[in-house]
Amino acid sequence: MSQSSPIQPPKRTLNFFRWFCDPDILEDLEGDLVELFEERADNNLFKAKALFTRDVLLMLRPGIIKNFEGHKNLNTYGMLKNYLKSAWRNFLKHKSFSTINILSLSIGIAACMVIFLFIQDELSFDTFHTKKESIYRLNEVQSFPGTNTQNVALSMPGMGPTMTKEFPEIQNFTRFWNWKKQLVEKENKKIMVENIAGVDSTFFDIFDFKFLHGNSENALNNPNNAIISEEVAIKFFDRVDVLDETLVINGDHCIIKGVIENVPENSHLQFDIILSIRVATKNRPNFDAQFGSNSLNTYFVLNKSADLENMSSRYPQYLLKHMDEGINDLYKLYLQPLSEIHLSSTDIEHDYNNYRKFNGTYIDVFIMVAIFILLIASLNFMNLTTARASNRAKEVGVRKTIGAVKGQLFNQFIVESILMSMIALLVAVAIEVLSLPLLNHVIGRQLSILTFLDPQLIGITIGVTLIIGIMAGLYPSLYLSAFKPIIVLKGFKSYEKKSFFRSSLVVTQFSLALGMIICTLVVIQQLHYVKNKDVGFNKDHILLVDMNEEVNKNYDALKQALLKKSNVLGVTASSQRLGNNLHQWGFKLKRDSGVVSITPSNVYVDYDYLDVYGIELIEGRTFNNEFATDDGLAFIVNEAFVKEFGIENPIGQKVGHGWYHNDSLGSIIGVTKDFNFNSLHFAVNTLAMEVHSSWGYHEISIKINGENVSQALEDIENVYNQFVTDYPLSYEFLDSQFEEIYQSDQQMSSVITIIAALSILIGSMGLFGLASISVKRRIKEVGIRKVMGASKSEILLILSKSFALMILLSFIIATPFTYFFLSRWLDNFAYRIQINPLIFIAGGVFALVIALLTISFHVLKVASANPVKSLKYE
Amino acid sequence: MGKDTIGEFEEVVMLTVAVLYKDAYGISIKDEMEKRLKRTVNLGAMRIALKRLENKGFLTSEFGEVTAVRGGKRKRYYEVTPQGKKILEQIMQTRNELWKAIPSIAFDFKFS
Repeated sequence: MSQSSPIQPPKRTLNFFRWFCDPDILEDLEGDLVELFEERADNNLFKAKALFTRDVLLMLRPGIIKNFEGHKNLNTYGMLKNYLKSAWRNFLKHKSFSTINILSLSIGIAACMVIFLFIQDELSFDTFHTKKESIYRLNEVQSFPGTNTQNVALSMPGMGPTMTKEFPEIQNFTRFWNWKKQLVEKENKKIMVENIAGVDSTFFDIFDFKFLHGNSENALNNPNNAIISEEVAIKFFDRVDVLDETLVINGDHCIIKGVIENVPENSHLQFDIILSIRVATKNRPNFDAQFGSNSLNTYFVLNKSADLENMSSRYPQYLLKHMDEGINDLYKLYLQPLSEIHLSSTDIEHDYNNYRKFNGTYIDVFIMVAIFILLIASLNFMNLTTARASNRAKEVGVRKTIGAVKGQLFNQFIVESILMSMIALLVAVAIEVLSLPLLNHVIGRQLSILTFLDPQLIGITIGVTLIIGIMAGLYPSLYLSAFKPIIVLKGFKSYEKKSFFRSSLVVTQFSLALGMIICTLVVIQQLHYVKNKDVGFNKDHILLVDMNEEVNKNYDALKQALLKKSNVLGVTASSQRLGNNLHQWGFKLKRDSGVVSITPSNVYVDYDYLDVYGIELIEGRTFNNEFATDDGLAFIVNEAFVKEFGIENPIGQKVGHGWYHNDSLGSIIGVTKDFNFNSLHFAVNTLAMEVHSSWGYHEISIKINGENVSQALEDIENVYNQFVTDYPLSYEFLDSQFEEIYQSDQQMSSVITIIAALSILIGSMGLFGLASISVKRRIKEVGIRKVMGASKSEILLILSKSFALMILLSFIIATPFTYFFLSRWLDNFAYRIQINPLIFIAGGVFALVIALLTISFHVLKVASANPVKSLKYE
Repeated sequence: MGKDTIGEFEEVVMLTVAVLYKDAYGISIKDEMEKRLKRTVNLGAMRIALKRLENKGFLTSEFGEVTAVRGGKRKRYYEVTPQGKKILEQIMQTRNELWKAIPSIAFDFKFS
């Protein structure tokens, strides 16, 4: 074996080995390796090389890798290691302090992450449609005489087809007609399916819902085709591949032409079964040219160059073409982009197909709150680190004496700060994982930490944490690295002065926290008000039961049987449910000058409706089935109606539906006190009620005994099943309707409450740490004061004074901003509380008490200490 | 492992060094151990054991001559020190005592 032979171990591997191997053992070990290689190379050179590499890699173990620090190598690993070591030692030396520091930042970061998840969830609505940029919903602004002007999500059946023809910008349309709950049958299985809708055949071209079976293209070509969700498929067939099976839906035999994945949570359109709209319009050949009543949603796909403003200038012309003179005084059309439907529809009424509609302005509030809490947490972090600086003064002095320059010390403290913030991030993630399930329960979401697994988000999260680390470490680092060694080593005492900077940080923190506490109190108060305001009718323990033809046929008998049950306090029925805006119908009012057309809200009810709901009459009488004219010709209106039209003697006033002949109008028999049939965000609209006993109702309202709900439900079910055989009982409580309309507000309130609690917690943690330091600093002063005869309570007062002053200052700063924000929020409600100044004071006192309690731990300790101990050393 | 004790692997390494006497260097120890123990020995692990034993004073070592093979690197020859011998004897003695203390019946396996 000569040295010139090509039999040489792989050069690169060998160099690598030489690089990492401890020089003390390098020579003989390298020799051994090479010897092994040479031995093997005689047999198989390739294999020998591979084995050599393996052997070298196996050498990567502690006893063999050289020591990469210190003088042996001219790099900074050693110093970095030292920084880490001193950071770690410092951490251990001040355990409680470091824990407070890290934990408060973690809570801040965790809260921020939750808010991010929440916002991200809201913004993800309807983003899964590929045509999302060009999909619009047709909305109307209705300004009918005698009713409040309102934005309405509904449109007329004729609008979709005709507008698509007459506006070249519109490429395609689909209508979405919500048929709500329907009876679905398969042989002897009868199940009420929640959400059934009729759409045009273009529906699946416009919206992307994922087909598991079947083809989206021709899915709805036949009027009897049905597309069902996975869930429905399993409910009826226990399997998913059910193409060409038949279901009987509301009496129509429908063939399943597609099974889709359950509609995702973040879709504003929700449905279990999609049918062709034609199934309901077989006997209405004019349906596509039908104008006048608004019953469904219309969606358009516009082409890229469409100019919304230009289009809207042509709407009046269009409306005039299809409807009567004067239509443009009543209707204005506008297109709402798909992306705004979920978040910007709070001012839109009759918005029935808008799942989990959310008030988009709350998103801004949430972003603000997230920034606030992060700010509080970072300020806290900064403040505590700076406050602790005195502990590190000696270290800085020694390091400087040995030769550290300012830049190095600056780096050291920045690295430390970054390290702490990274640990905080890890803790935050842990907090998140633990608390999300609980939170999801409170706010009714399905947020998941897994959302953060996106590489971009990971980058942003770490980046933000890094920035917090740097920002929070910046001031302490500058402050610490600027210490003069001679002064700090002589004794730090002379270096101390009151830090205006630190105090102002505390004030900022507490201003934010205080603001949030006050907001929480007011928001809770308003929601409490909304929930408990006397809406003018009884909404507790009312059971709403769906009705179909069969139930209507048997309604009278069913009602009588139900009333015999002791737990049933009343039974009535109506065409619409309270708790949203009731439909407006054309109406006539006879004046001296002639008959005027108006459009109040309208609901037709059973005779005893007012009694069951406890709606108060202020004039006249309620419906009575002994008067024949009460069926169709007697109207009960509300106060708002009387006021709006300036009717002096309402009882007997001639009124009637829009289609009644002017000579055969009915009359007003009673006036009710205004009651809030709509959400309290809106003022009470004008309303007319009447009986049309032959028309059939939509829902039975059963008032039950609140103390015996389960028994009542059982009774109702038994009675119901005696009278109705083909339509399973399905009911809901009226309360849940009301909960739904304030859901957005309720969730905002939950989030704000949690955040406010967290911000005061973080603030207190900061104050706790700060108090421990500032009190310790005054320990000698306290000693002297005690020797001179100060009592314990006097000392407590002296020590607490400066903190109390800070809180007071925070209060003064926070008040105007909070007031401004709150009054804007309350303007959202037609019925709102007045902001009570006492709330501000309560919030301030609360913050003060929390702050004093926090510092009391340290203050008491110092105040009750023996002065001898503190004065012994000089 | 304490300062004055050695583990099983270290014991075997020391015994092998003793067996090889003047010819105990990295590869020869490895080969000998593999031959006798019928198992593969990792060179790195062995080298660490040798270093540790040397630090404990149970082995000494010195470099050999420069040769043309091995990439021109010198071998490091190991030798057992008197202390090393003492600890090996100690271990053997403990073992023997343990063996002697085993009642004969304990290893009397019969399959009934």
